[in-house]
Amino acid sequence: MDPVKIILDGKEVVTTKGTTVIKAAADAGVAIPHYCYHPKLSIAGNCRMCLIEIEKMPKLQIACNTQVAEGMSVLTQSPKVLAVRKAVMEFLLINHPVDCPICDQAGECQLQNYYMEHNREASRFEVGKIHDRKKTIFGPNVIFDGERCIKCTRCVRFCQEITKTDELAVVNRGDHSTIALFDGAVLDNPLSANVVDICPVGALTDRDFRFKVRVWYLEKTPSICPGCSTGCNISVEAYQNQIARFKPRVNEAVNSHWICDEGRYCFHDLAGGERLTAPMIRQEGGLVPTTWEQALQAVYTGLSSAKPLAAILCGRNTNEEAFLFAKLIKKLSLEAALEVFYQERELTETQKILMSPDRAPNFRGARDMGVSSNGGFDALMGKLVAGNFSSAYVVGEDLVGFDEKIRAALQKLSFLVVQDTHMTETAKLAHVLLPAVHFGEKEGTYTNRKGRVQKLNAAVIPPDGALQDSEIFMQLLAAADEAVRYTSPSEIFAAIAREVTAYQGLDYDSIGEQGVELRSGGGGAS
Amino acid sequence: MPAHVGIQARVREPTNLDSRFRGNDGKEDVGLMSTDVFFEMEKLLLRNIGVPDSQTLATYQSRGGYASWRKVVEGMKPEQVIDEVKASGLRGRGGAGFPTGMKWSFVPKDSPKPKYLVCNADESEPGTFKDRLLIEQDPHAMIEGTLIAAFAIQSHTAFIYIRGEMVFGTQQLERAVEEAYQAGLIGKNIFGSGYDLEVIVHRGAGAYICGEETALLSSLEGGRGWPKVKPPFPATHGLFGCPTVVNNVETLAVLPWILERGAAAYFAMGTEKSKGTKLFSVSGHITRPGVYEVEMGYPFKKFLEEDCGGVSNGKKLKGVIPGGASMPVLKPEEIEKVNLDYESVAAAGSLLGSGGVIVMDETTCMVRAAWNIARFYAHESCGQCSPCREGCHWMEKIFHRIEYGEGQKSDLDLILNIAGNIMGNTICPFGDAAAMPAGAFIRKFRDEFEAHIAEKRCTVRG
Repeated sequence: MDPVKIILDGKEVVTTKGTTVIKAAADAGVAIPHYCYHPKLSIAGNCRMCLIEIEKMPKLQIACNTQVAEGMSVLTQSPKVLAVRKAVMEFLLINHPVDCPICDQAGECQLQNYYMEHNREASRFEVGKIHDRKKTIFGPNVIFDGERCIKCTRCVRFCQEITKTDELAVVNRGDHSTIALFDGAVLDNPLSANVVDICPVGALTDRDFRFKVRVWYLEKTPSICPGCSTGCNISVEAYQNQIARFKPRVNEAVNSHWICDEGRYCFHDLAGGERLTAPMIRQEGGLVPTTWEQALQAVYTGLSSAKPLAAILCGRNTNEEAFLFAKLIKKLSLEAALEVFYQERELTETQKILMSPDRAPNFRGARDMGVSSNGGFDALMGKLVAGNFSSAYVVGEDLVGFDEKIRAALQKLSFLVVQDTHMTETAKLAHVLLPAVHFGEKEGTYTNRKGRVQKLNAAVIPPDGALQDSEIFMQLLAAADEAVRYTSPSEIFAAIAREVTAYQGLDYDSIGEQGVELRSGGGGAS
Repeated sequence: MPAHVGIQARVREPTNLDSRFRGNDGKEDVGLMSTDVFFEMEKLLLRNIGVPDSQTLATYQSRGGYASWRKVVEGMKPEQVIDEVKASGLRGRGGAGFPTGMKWSFVPKDSPKPKYLVCNADESEPGTFKDRLLIEQDPHAMIEGTLIAAFAIQSHTAFIYIRGEMVFGTQQLERAVEEAYQAGLIGKNIFGSGYDLEVIVHRGAGAYICGEETALLSSLEGGRGWPKVKPPFPATHGLFGCPTVVNNVETLAVLPWILERGAAAYFAMGTEKSKGTKLFSVSGHITRPGVYEVEMGYPFKKFLEEDCGGVSNGKKLKGVIPGGASMPVLKPEEIEKVNLDYESVAAAGSLLGSGGVIVMDETTCMVRAAWNIARFYAHESCGQCSPCREGCHWMEKIFHRIEYGEGQKSDLDLILNIAGNIMGNTICPFGDAAAMPAGAFIRKFRDEFEAHIAEKRCTVRG
C-alpha cells in the first residue's frame, strides 16, 4: 500500500494509492455529502452531491470516483463546492413531495439532513411536480414511493451486486425515470430489506416498521442478531420498552453493512406475544403460579432425585449463562447429558451470503462453556425419544414445536423443568415452569460460528416476575451448595477468561462494539 | 485547391423497401438522395454521392474503393496506420474534435483483452444529417474506414451502432456489409493476410443519448443507454470492459481517402489546427438546404449567402446555430468574421460541433425556438444524474410558460441560473448540450423574451 499525500482543505492527509477522495476524506474525518455512493456498491456517480474542487482542474469532480494523487489539493468547502451542493439539493427536491410529516424516513433522511446543512432556501420551483407511483409493494418487506425517490440506484445496485438477484431496474427516461421490478419479479430475496437501510430517502420503507414509531423516539442499543450463528451486528431499536426494529451495524469482520430478513424480523417471534411473569408448578388440574422460592426448591429437589437427567440449553443463551448452566448441571449430576440446541437446514446460495444453517447464535460459545456431552444434540434427542432419561431441564427451546415426536417422550418423564419466556407447547408439559428473559433483555456475550466473541446488550427491561437466566442458575447452584455469586455478566466473563482455555486473556471491556476473535484453534472447555 | 464542394440532398421515396423497416410513425422510411452537384472539384467525403448505384460494392470498387483497405492489410503495420492518421491532422467529426490518431494510440497494445472498434452511426443531433447521407448513399466508404480503424488498433470485432430510426440507412448498410463479406473484404483471413475482422451492424432503440459514446457502449452491451462515469475511459475500459475506440461515421469515411492520397494531402487542406474538409448539414430558412462538404476555414457568411443561396424568400437572418442544436446560437453580427473551423467558431462563442447549421430568419420566434430545443433535451435526458434529469425538465417548463404567456420577469434569470447549475456538473456532455443553447438564446435575444413575458404573447409572429 503506497502512501499518498494529499492536501485536504489545506491540511496534509496521508492516505494510500488507489483510495478515492471521498474515502480518504472520510478517513480523515471530513464528511463529503453523498447519496449514490456506498462503500460496498459500485460507483454510480449519479447524484452529483459529492462534487468537490481539485486545484488545477477546471471542472468540479465527483469525490466518489476520483482517486487520490500525490500532492492533489482538494477543496471540500470552497464557494464553488458549496454552490453546487446547494444546486444539487434544489434539483433533488423540485419533484420531491416534501411529505416529511407522513414519511417514515423523517429523522433519518439524507434529504432532510443535507437540506438543513447545504441549502435552507425556499423552493424556486413552481411549475408542477412530476407524479409517480405511491405505496407500490416491491416485496414482502419493502414498499416503494416513487415520488420520494432520487434515483441514486443504490437499491438496484444492491440487487445486482450483493444478492445478484436482479429484481430491480430503472425504467423510463428523464424526470420520469423510476425504479421498478422486472416483469414477474418480486423483491423477496433473503436480504431484501437491506435496500430500505441503504435508501438514503423515504422511497423504500420497511413494511414491518412503517407507521409504527417516529425514529427519533427509538432507543438504540448495539447488540448481536439472535437469528443464527453468523452473529450479525445489529442495533436493537425500541420504543416504550418494545423492540420496534433491528438495523444492521457495520462490522466488516462479520456482516459488513447487511443483515438478512429472517434475522431482521426474528424479534417478533422471540420477543413478541404474551410473556410468562410468574413461576408455575404442576398440581392437580395443571400449572399454577407459585413463588420463585418454592419453584426453585422444587426444581432442585426434582432434578436431584430423578436421574438420569437430560439438560438442553437454548442456542440464544449467552456464554455467561452457558458457563453457569454447565456448572449447575455438572453439580446436580455428573452423569447428566447436556447439549445446546442445534439443528441445521439447507441454505440457498443467496442465503449463504449471510445466514448460517442453524438458528443457534451461540451454539459454539455454549459448547466452549462445557454445554456438551460430546454426543451432540441430535444424539441427545434420540436418547430422549428412546426414553433413556427420567428428568429433563429444557431452557428456552420449544422442543415440541420443533418436533412433535418429542411430546410423548417429555410426557413420560418423571420430572420436567422448562425455563422460557412464553407458554410454548413444551412449557405446557413442564412440572415446573420458570419465567426467564429473551435476548433483548440481557447482557452478555455470544461466540459466533467463526469464533468471534461479541457483546449483547439489554435493549428493553424484562417483565416483573421473570428472572435473568444467570440469576436462576446461580440460585439453583446456591441450593446445591455451590456458592457462586456474580453481580454482573462482566464478572462471569472474567471467570470464563480464567477457566476456559480458549477464552483466556480476553477482557470483557475490550470486546467493545466490534467483538474480538478467539485465539486460533480455540474451542473446548478446560 | 477549390474552396469547397456542395451537394444538395433531397428526399425521395426509396424503392424495394423491405417492409420490416418502418419508422416510429408506422410509415415507410424515406432516404436522402443527392442530386445537384454544384462544384466540379475534388471531393473527399462526397466523392461517390450522386453517382448512380453509389451504394453498391461494384460502383464503389469501380471508383477505387477498398484499394486503401488492401494497401493497409497487405503492406502496413498498425502503428504505420496510426502514424499516418496522426500526421493527417484528422480530428473526430462527432462533435468534440479530438485528434483521431491520438485517440487510437491510447488503446493499450499489450492488453490481453479483446479490443473493439465501434462506429458511431447514431446521428441524432438536431439539425444534423450528414452521416445519414453517407450511410444511405456511400455505405462502403464508412465500412472501409471502419475496417482501417479496426486494423489500426488491431481489433477483430467492429460494431456499427446505427440510429434505430434510420431504417433505410440500416438496410443500405446491412446490404453493403453483406456484399463486403461476400467479396472477402471482411471476415477470416482477409486478403490471405491472416487478419480476421468481423463487422456487426447494431440498431439502436431510439435514444438521443446513445450517440454519447459511453451511453452507446452501455446500449451495445445490452444495458440501459446510460453514459458511464469517467474515468476509466473507453480506450482502456470500453465495450464489455475492454479497450475500445468509438469513431464517428464521417471520421471513418474519410480514412480511405487519407490512406490513398497520403496524410500530407489531407494536412494541406484547412487551417492550422482544423485540417481537411468537413460536412455541414444546412437546414432551416435557407434557400438551398442540404449536406455540403466544405474545406475547413471557409468563411461562414460567404458559405451561407453564396453557396447555400442565402436566407430563403429574401428574409433577413436572425440567428444561426453552427453545430447542431446543442451549440449556442450566433447572431448575424457574430458570424461576420467567423470561418468554418473549430477555433474560429469557438472564438465567436459557439462550437462547430456536428456541423448541423440551423438557419433562423427574422420571422422566427426565439422563445418558441428555445422552448423547442429545451423540450427536446427534457425529453431525451436519460435521467441518470440529478442536475440534468431535474434541470432539463425544469427549464423546459419555464420556457413553456413563457411561450404560452404565463412567464414571469424572474424567469429569465432563473433559467440562466438553472443552466449554470447544470453546466459542467453532469456525468456526460448532455447537460452542457441542454444548458448552452438555453443560456445563449436568453442572453442574445433577451429583449424578445422580455417582450414575450410583458405582453403575454409572441411579439414576433403577432
